[in-house]
This record gives sequence, structure tokens and C-alpha cells, in this order.
Amino acid sequence: MVSDEYGFFIDPQRCIGCKSCVGACAECGTHKGRPMIHLDEMDRLNSTQTAPTVCMHCEDPICAQVCPADAIKRSEDGVVHSSQKPRCIGCQNCELSCPFGVPIVFSGLEQMLKCDLCYDRTSEGHKPMCATVCPSQALLYVPKHEISAMRQNKPVREFTVGALKVKTRNALMVPDPDKPLHLDAALLLAEGGW
Amino acid sequence: MKPPVPLHRLDLQARPLIRASLTLMGVVASVVVGSRGGRWLDPALLGYLLSALFAIFGIAYRYWSWVERPATAMYFHHSVARLLTPRGLLELPRLALLALDQLFLQRFIERRSIKRWGAHALIAWGCLLAFAVTFPLVFGWVRFTSHGLDVSRYQAWVFGFPAGDFPLDSPVAWLTFHVLDVAAVMVIAGCVLAFVRRRQDEGDMATQRFDLDIAPLLLLLAVSITGLMLTASEKFLHGRNFGTLAYLHELTVILLLLSLPFGKLFHIVQRPAQLGVSFYKADGEADGRLPCKACGDPFIRANQRRDLGELFSRLELDAARHSKDVHHLDLCPKCKRRLLAKAQSVRLGGGFDPFHDLPEPVVPIDDPTTMRPSS
Repeated sequence: MVSDEYGFFIDPQRCIGCKSCVGACAECGTHKGRPMIHLDEMDRLNSTQTAPTVCMHCEDPICAQVCPADAIKRSEDGVVHSSQKPRCIGCQNCELSCPFGVPIVFSGLEQMLKCDLCYDRTSEGHKPMCATVCPSQALLYVPKHEISAMRQNKPVREFTVGALKVKTRNALMVPDPDKPLHLDAALLLAEGGW
Repeated sequence: MKPPVPLHRLDLQARPLIRASLTLMGVVASVVVGSRGGRWLDPALLGYLLSALFAIFGIAYRYWSWVERPATAMYFHHSVARLLTPRGLLELPRLALLALDQLFLQRFIERRSIKRWGAHALIAWGCLLAFAVTFPLVFGWVRFTSHGLDVSRYQAWVFGFPAGDFPLDSPVAWLTFHVLDVAAVMVIAGCVLAFVRRRQDEGDMATQRFDLDIAPLLLLLAVSITGLMLTASEKFLHGRNFGTLAYLHELTVILLLLSLPFGKLFHIVQRPAQLGVSFYKADGEADGRLPCKACGDPFIRANQRRDLGELFSRLELDAARHSKDVHHLDLCPKCKRRLLAKAQSVRLGGGFDPFHDLPEPVVPIDDPTTMRPSS
């Protein structure tokens, strides 16, 4: 059981692209050898900016709703786990439906793996691997009450995708947390994509 | 202690209930026919029969409930419809090969972990072998008698029809009488390997649950060990405590059968869905992949995009739409991730780019080596 006292705070603007998180993630016992964190370059041609993405652990995970095998479960502590090995049939519904683009289906294994908050560590009271090694604290796992003293920005756990609301366990840091963070592709598309 | 849930509040669904009842009636009819009106049912196996029928009803109910889920129905209907087309019938050999690879050899588990595959293969093959022997015997489909007045030969009957005979001292006889012992040894070896692996795997140790992961292994071990003890009692102890052991074995088997619809072993009937998904993917690949509407990279199979769109509507998730023409499903996973970071940068007023608020150089620098303007 992961303690509810701690929170995971993601701050892409602090990411320096060192890939320490990627290396550390591969050490996690629940998906040994395969990093489940994503580190994406935002605009390779014009910027060095990178963005780390871990599972946001939705309150009502869409990946679980669209899973035909009923293989994706959210435990009582709010952690959404990788697909259950006996059930997963590797259909990729979860990979294509996740609002944050997190799950990865390995076709040879017929299984979806994803960030599970390093459950083998966090359930024992340790930090997730990525947050342990992140030098710029773009990935931060600390008691929830400490974050306000550590950052000017505040955690937001509500997102809107179009008109769809998504609530999550993990938080993204923004200056105005009262408004849900709106994922708006329309603006990008009007500019002609990335 | 909680009061038991009244039967009328079990919230059973009508359609799965009807389908499960029909499944059960079909099995009961086959028992009646196979045992020639119950004549050849073994009274010693009555407890097994009743619990097996309960398990079949429970498994059928859970299966049909599972198929009712919108996401499952999407693949189930596609798989059934495809199988019943002339093209589907022509592809039966391919289906058989896939079944050999995915259901019998379970190569995908080998790719997950060789240790897991070894344990799983022993348990799976042992269980399937035991089921293949036990259910026909319990249902009266198969029985054995002496061959006429010749007590040195055994006669096998299938659905009341003679199906060959063999001498009692032949290898066939030994295998027939000990096939459940072979299955028990396989299951015990597999369970031991599974326990050892679970003790060594940090990930499994963190995520495993007693009711879902450990209890089924313990039940399988109990069934196999008590089964072997029956043989040991008969072979080496002159039948000492055979009656007690028989009751103990029956109790463990009944517990296992009663747990089948509720526990981990239900995945045995779920796994064939993987074959349907393999064909669905192959069909999609043949039709080609659609490009991401943000970056243009092909990423989603056309049939899956269409079906996921319908699924999102059924699940009332269709609001995940950026414009009339662009659904969130039209963005590839990488663009979705970048969109999340982009959303933060927008909220930070463009602060994502560390140079965003620096003024443009007044004098263009034309010579990057000297960093001097050309003028």
C-alpha cells in the first residue's frame, strides 16, 4: 500500500534532459530492464527542452475502461498498475486511448507495461526510481504538505481533454492550480502541428 | 460479521444469466446422453459432478458478463463475425497454428520470462491433462469395464460406445490408470517453481495478492498432493486410510472447482480472445495505419480507430475531442505527452522556453566565429 501522505509532482519546465530517470526506471522490479518513463524532445530543431512523462494514475482510468480483458486495475491507494499478466491480450486499446500517451504494449509479450509508481519501492516507503535520481527535481516525490514551501507553482490534478475531465493522483506544477489544465491540440493544429 | 447478501440483491444480469443457464443445460444434456440416462454415472463421483456443474454455470455466467463489456464486445463480435465468413473458414489452418503457438506452447510467456514460462507450462499442461481426464469420467462420457468375461483386459467406453480395449499389464493400461498422477507431478513441480520465482521477484512480491495469486497455487498443490497420496496409499500402504484420503481429495477438488469462476484460473477461458486480437491486428495492418493529426506519423490501424471511436461514444468519453474533426484518439501517444508539457508551458505564459522573454538581437550576428556583425 502506497502512503497517501506522499505525492508525485511533475514539473516539465525543470527537465534538463539528462535521461537519469530513464536509466533508473529500467531498474524498477516490476518491469525489469524496460524504462516506462517517457522523455520527449519538445522541438528538437529549435529548443533543447525535454519533457518527462510518467503515468498520472487517473481516478477513473480510461485505459482500464477500454481494456477488453479487464486486465488493468487501480489499487485502493490510487495506483493504476500494469496489465495483469494472465489476462492481457496485447490489443493496444490502452496505449491508444490513454489521454497522456503513457502505456506501452510489447507485441511479442502480448502485454501492456506502464509506470506503476515503482510499486515495489513506494509500497515499502521509498521514492520511485525516477524521482530518486532526478537532479533538477522535475520529478519530485515528497510529502504533500511540503510542496507549497518548495515551489512557487502549485500542483494541479485536474485536466481537461476537449470537454472531458480527467482527475489524477499525480500532479503537474502550474501557477494557478484552481483551473484544470487544458490539453488543447486545436491551437497546435492551427499552427500546422509541431 | 456481515449478514449474507439476499439472493434478490445479487444484481445478476439477465442476458448472461440466460446464456449461462443454456450452457449448463447443454452440459447436463450431454451428461444424460453420455451416461445413457445416468446409468453409467459413478455414485462415488457425485460430489465432483455437482461441483463441476456449479463451476460450469459460474464460469459461463462470468464469461458472458465479460463479453457484455463494451470493450470486450468490440473484439468478440469482430472475432465471431470474421470466423464465420468464407475467408475465416479458409484461415482455420492459420488459426490452428496460432492456437498452437499462443495457447499450447504459450511462447509469449516464454518471452516475458523463461522462469515464468517453465512454471506456467507445467501447471497449465498438468491442469489441462487432468481436466481432460476428470471431466469426461465425472460426466459419465467415458467409463471402463472388464472386457466381457475376460478380467485380464479392460474395455473403454465413450458416450456408451466401445472405444477399444487393452490388457491390464500393458503400458497403455499403466498410462490410463496413472495419467492423473503424471498430471499431479507436473502441477506440483510447476507450483514449486512458481513459489520460488515469486519469492525471488521483487515486482511480484510487491504486487501479488493472497486471494488472487497465492491461494490458487495452494489449492492446486492440495489437490495434487492428496491425489498422489491416494496412489501411494493403494500402492505402498495396502490401502491404509484410503477412504479418508479420498474424502480429503474430493474436498480439495470441490474447493478448486467452486473457486474457478471467481479466481485467477478464469483466465483459462479468457485467453483464446488473444487469437481474435491477432487476426484483428492483421486485418488492420492490411488496411494500413492512419497518420497522427499533429505530427503526421502513421500510428493507429484504421479499423481500431473506427472501433475505438464507437467505444468512446458508448463509454461516454466522446467529449475528448479538440475540434469537430480532431478527436484525442487522432493524436499519437508521443504528441499526447508533448501536449501535456505544452499545456504547462501555456499556463506558465510561455515560460517553457528559457529564452522566450529575451529581446531579439538588435544587430544580427552574421559571423558566428567572431560573434561580430558583418557591418
